[in-house]
Amino acid sequence: MIVDPLPVAWRFEAIGTHWRIDTREPLPPDVARAVSERVERFDRDWSRFRADSLVSRIAAQPGRHVLPADAVALLGFYRELYDATSGRVSPLVGRTLEALGYDAAYRLRAAADIPTVPSWDDAVAWDGEALETVRPVLLDVGAAGKGYLVDLVSDVLAAAGIREHIVDASGDLRTRDVPMRIALEHPLDPRKAVGVADLRDGAFCASASNRRAWGDGLHHVLDAATGLPTRDVIATWVIAPTALVADGIATALFLDPDPQLVARHGAAFARMWGDGRVDASDHFPGEIFE
Amino acid sequence: MASSQTPRLLALGFAGLGVATALAGCSAATADGGSDVGNGGGEVDTSAEYADGTYTADGSYNAPSGEESITVEITLVDDVVTDVVVTPHATEGNQAQFQGQFASGIAAEVKGKDIDTLNVSRVGGSSLTSGGFNQALEAIKADALA
Repeated sequence: MIVDPLPVAWRFEAIGTHWRIDTREPLPPDVARAVSERVERFDRDWSRFRADSLVSRIAAQPGRHVLPADAVALLGFYRELYDATSGRVSPLVGRTLEALGYDAAYRLRAAADIPTVPSWDDAVAWDGEALETVRPVLLDVGAAGKGYLVDLVSDVLAAAGIREHIVDASGDLRTRDVPMRIALEHPLDPRKAVGVADLRDGAFCASASNRRAWGDGLHHVLDAATGLPTRDVIATWVIAPTALVADGIATALFLDPDPQLVARHGAAFARMWGDGRVDASDHFPGEIFE
Repeated sequence: MASSQTPRLLALGFAGLGVATALAGCSAATADGGSDVGNGGGEVDTSAEYADGTYTADGSYNAPSGEESITVEITLVDDVVTDVVVTPHATEGNQAQFQGQFASGIAAEVKGKDIDTLNVSRVGGSSLTSGGFNQALEAIKADALA
């Protein structure tokens, strides 16, 4: 049975997904407004589905673009993911995802010509403040952006003095000072769990390659080296100190990352392979069912 | 799949599923689908006894390409699901192909533990068709209550 650890849940839709914030007391209106504004600002900056976003402006106009302060952690971690996967996790997959059909209109049909993903150092230069582009590039922060926004929302709550809370954006979750036991949902059977994970302070992110699939082998986890969706691993569950890290590693695990990436960030994971096997990293805080 | 009983067919739209969900009581906690982590907020009663047999129900879910539907057929023996067959009804070409893969994958992959039997605070991980699958399952549970 599922028992909520906190009595109040606020549910809303944002950035195309379901959100849920659990607290002990209902959120004061000004705090709820601050959360909504933070989410809206992130979407306005980073959505490649919005014509008025910063990402869309960068895509339209090569040159020097000063990025918001939240870009430092996001692009910094993206660079780590990029290096740890030999370039297979990249924020430069936007144009390719679009061509494969994962576009603003949810066209979901692959084009005849699929552009290759440009290499980081060829396409952009990032100095911690501005992004220089020599040609139009379409950024896609889908591998870690939602997790990062979960952290940012959790920071808004913490800054407002709401110490105990859970921020949950459908697959990316951050808990502060709330003990949780999370069922690892079977990716092919939502009534079943393949294990459980225990968490009190930190983040949990789940990713499944069948979650947003739209054709034969076409889904949203893209290998930037081949320009094609990944195979082999079909679901991942990651525990890490932040949702940025958990989300990014949950994606990277589909792409055979350097094990140091997981160790360096104090993360732990479980993953399911295409043949149904499930394995877990050392120190996974929970249990995998046989 | 084999069944000693006459299959009972449910043809349910959204209104019917709403009723079925209500009948299934607090099990509806995991039936709203769509979200990957979430669906808390209720206790699940596992004490119900279901009549043996083969049950069929339809469920639907929102894919990016629009609403898609599946039919879930389940065989129950002594309150245990012994067989699951998911039949897709997708019309979009790509979606139809994907649903076919999902449908063939699901029967071979049913293992692990019932979430109903676990004490957890959240469920993490999901697929697009979860919502439709859960809707259909709730309808079946309501119909099979002895």
